Amino acid sequence: MEQAAIQTHGLTRRFGALTAVDDVTMSVAPGQFFGFLGPNGAGKSTTIKMLTGLMEPSAGKIEILGQPFGAGSLELKRQIGVVPEGMALLGRLTAREYLRFVGRMYGLDSETASRRTEDLLEFMQLAGEHKKMVTDFSHGMQKKLAMAAAVIHGPKVLFLDEPFEGVDAIAAGMMKAMLLRMIGRGATIFLTTHVLEIVERLCSHVAIISQGRLVANGSIEELRTGVASRLPGTEMEQRLTLEEIFLAIVGAGGQEEMTQELSWLA
Amino acid sequence: MAGMTGERSQGKGLLGAPARAQYAAMAAMRWRVFINGLHSIHGILELGATGIAWMFYAFIGLGAGFGLGAGGYAMALHAEWQFLPILFWITSILWLTLPIVVASYQEQSDLGILLRFPVRFGSYFTLYLISGLMEASTIVGGLCCFGIWLGVVLARPQMGAPLALVLTIFAAFNLLLVRAIFAWIERWLAQRKSREIVGVVFMVLVLGAQFLNPALYHHRDYGPVSRQQRREQAGETWARYAPMLKSAYRVQQWLPAGSAARAAQQSAEGRSAQGWAWLGLLGMWTLAAGGTLGLRLRAEYRGENLGWASARTRAPERTWTLGGSGACTAAIEKEVHSLFRSLPLLWGMGAPLLLVLVLGGLFHPGAALHSFSYALPLCVAYALLGFTQLFYNNLGAEGAGIQLLFLSPTPIRTVVLAKNLLHGALFLVVACAAVALGCLRLGLPPAALMAALGAWLLFALPCNLAAGNILSLTMPCRIHPGRIGRQPGSQANALTAVLIQAGTLGIGAAVLSLCWALDKPWWAIPILLVLAAAAYFVWKRVLSHVEAMALERRDQLITSLMKVQ
Repeated sequence: MEQAAIQTHGLTRRFGALTAVDDVTMSVAPGQFFGFLGPNGAGKSTTIKMLTGLMEPSAGKIEILGQPFGAGSLELKRQIGVVPEGMALLGRLTAREYLRFVGRMYGLDSETASRRTEDLLEFMQLAGEHKKMVTDFSHGMQKKLAMAAAVIHGPKVLFLDEPFEGVDAIAAGMMKAMLLRMIGRGATIFLTTHVLEIVERLCSHVAIISQGRLVANGSIEELRTGVASRLPGTEMEQRLTLEEIFLAIVGAGGQEEMTQELSWLA
Repeated sequence: MAGMTGERSQGKGLLGAPARAQYAAMAAMRWRVFINGLHSIHGILELGATGIAWMFYAFIGLGAGFGLGAGGYAMALHAEWQFLPILFWITSILWLTLPIVVASYQEQSDLGILLRFPVRFGSYFTLYLISGLMEASTIVGGLCCFGIWLGVVLARPQMGAPLALVLTIFAAFNLLLVRAIFAWIERWLAQRKSREIVGVVFMVLVLGAQFLNPALYHHRDYGPVSRQQRREQAGETWARYAPMLKSAYRVQQWLPAGSAARAAQQSAEGRSAQGWAWLGLLGMWTLAAGGTLGLRLRAEYRGENLGWASARTRAPERTWTLGGSGACTAAIEKEVHSLFRSLPLLWGMGAPLLLVLVLGGLFHPGAALHSFSYALPLCVAYALLGFTQLFYNNLGAEGAGIQLLFLSPTPIRTVVLAKNLLHGALFLVVACAAVALGCLRLGLPPAALMAALGAWLLFALPCNLAAGNILSLTMPCRIHPGRIGRQPGSQANALTAVLIQAGTLGIGAAVLSLCWALDKPWWAIPILLVLAAAAYFVWKRVLSHVEAMALERRDQLITSLMKVQ
């Protein structure tokens, strides 16, 4: 059996009385573009933080590329790239300085780090911003830089937390093409985003987390079949969108009532 | 619209209903932040540390206020009003210099968050001033003013009302001036070009001022002098400088502290009209300071962007690189880039060097030998206070970038080691600069003292680095790299840091005193070197535990350094 790129067993994280992530067990195969979805506060970012070593699980195990993973797993970290929630940028560096720094922190030699920095700046259309500090970048430019930093060392597993938020359509298209090329070369991508169209277009497999618990996991086709079969009146031949699947699984209860209650809105 | 405190319906201005609602919301928000902070041990520690810091400032203020009050009482009792400006000038100088002295320690609030709300400029300005009332300089300056008032009124009760009016306007002037100076310095230093110019001017001023002392005292014989000779020397000095002092006295009365003193003096001598005229002049100074501050705040209020925007042209970037491929060199290189673009850290390092001038001026070769011996070590120790933020909050400037340190395969220990190496090197550079400047100002000290000072530095450095690493991991707070003031800060961190710094200074002073008392000054060197070796061992032990400490506390570290105010 093929070794999973990402594997969790009973992954749990508690904050006092609140269980943010509750007994999550899932597996992501190598080369998979995996979408991890859930409503706000469902536990997506907490899960990514645990998977990348930014947060210690309260219980459970994580395996990356078949090896147990923890914050001290330095060799495994070399294989991982991350665009975290806060982007992890250093505001008082230029984009070039930042990428060089990140490359060398991931173990690239100075020359390789410099060469890849130039390639990535060119690719992300940031090469002209040679004097601008990262803090003065627009949100979209910061996202592009964070993405460049996540891939500079050629990771085998990439974790992306809302990577396309605020990025213009041209750059987003280029980034998606780059990610698909990485998938083609055998990398694994773990993506969380609220833009379901992106997930539908890019991901082959999806997991949905709600209130800390994994409520669905499988290929999009499997989820579509599952939802269609349990929704009364849904014809099997009707092709459900991922948004409909998501709403059916997570539940959109109370939306209409809420809208009516906000009658003071223009 | 229903439910809104609309300006049209409920009045405008600083005290209109919308503004009052915003003040109340702001106060409630600060109160909630305070109460919520008490839910954690760290919050309680912060409260305790803030209380201690306030008591410390109050203690300084009470001491200065008592001294000025005694002076005011004596002057009022003997109607020696011509000396009154001295009290006002001392107050003004204290008010202006204290923010420099406590630059590394003071916690300030950032009102920039208000700009996203529909806050009127007047309200923004008012809140900016109110936040200034909570600062050390205002506490100390306010107590000085109260001391002067009390001293004079005890001797001349009829001076109560007029002097209160003068001192109130004088206090308002100082408050506005300090805020204006800091706001403008921040503005100038926010841009690379102006920062470079200000940096050069600053260096020229510091170096230039060092030559004042030798220039003023070059004629002196530094050998032992009798009381009679000293009296004669004082007479000669007075004769030489008296005309200059008289001119200065005539000029100073047109300046804020002088005009405040003149207003009080005229009132005391029963010349009300002249008193009002001088008070008017003081009022104009106050308006000018307010206007200067207003100009700056108005620009901020309008959403000024001081970012380093550049043309979208391709040009080779000239950036400093250290060379080498290791993570440690990468971390040092990044630290150098960040450090020299971080205002609070640059300010923290540079500001105490200014005070070396003042400290150097307190001692001179003609003073008693014992006090002169300590002048240079004191100057050096004071200059090193500027490293408080670098040593004791060495992750503070990372902000959201702290995540990267945990994500990358480089051990945190390597990053901390890189920071320690760079900060240690800077520490030694600044120490050498302080020694060089101190020697220029005070003359060469005995060789044994210089050697002991070097040994003390070798002891103080690892001590501060070790303690700093622990505090940086346990009590971190985010440093906003673009600002000198308005930093959130951690009083608990600052208080612990100052205690450790005082401890290392105290140990050094004790060793020196003991060896000097035993007339064996050279003994201080091996003793301090042994202590340095022990401190080095402790630093290495701490460094070996840094990784485990950082990983254990990574949730709190990431939360603290990424959080918004």
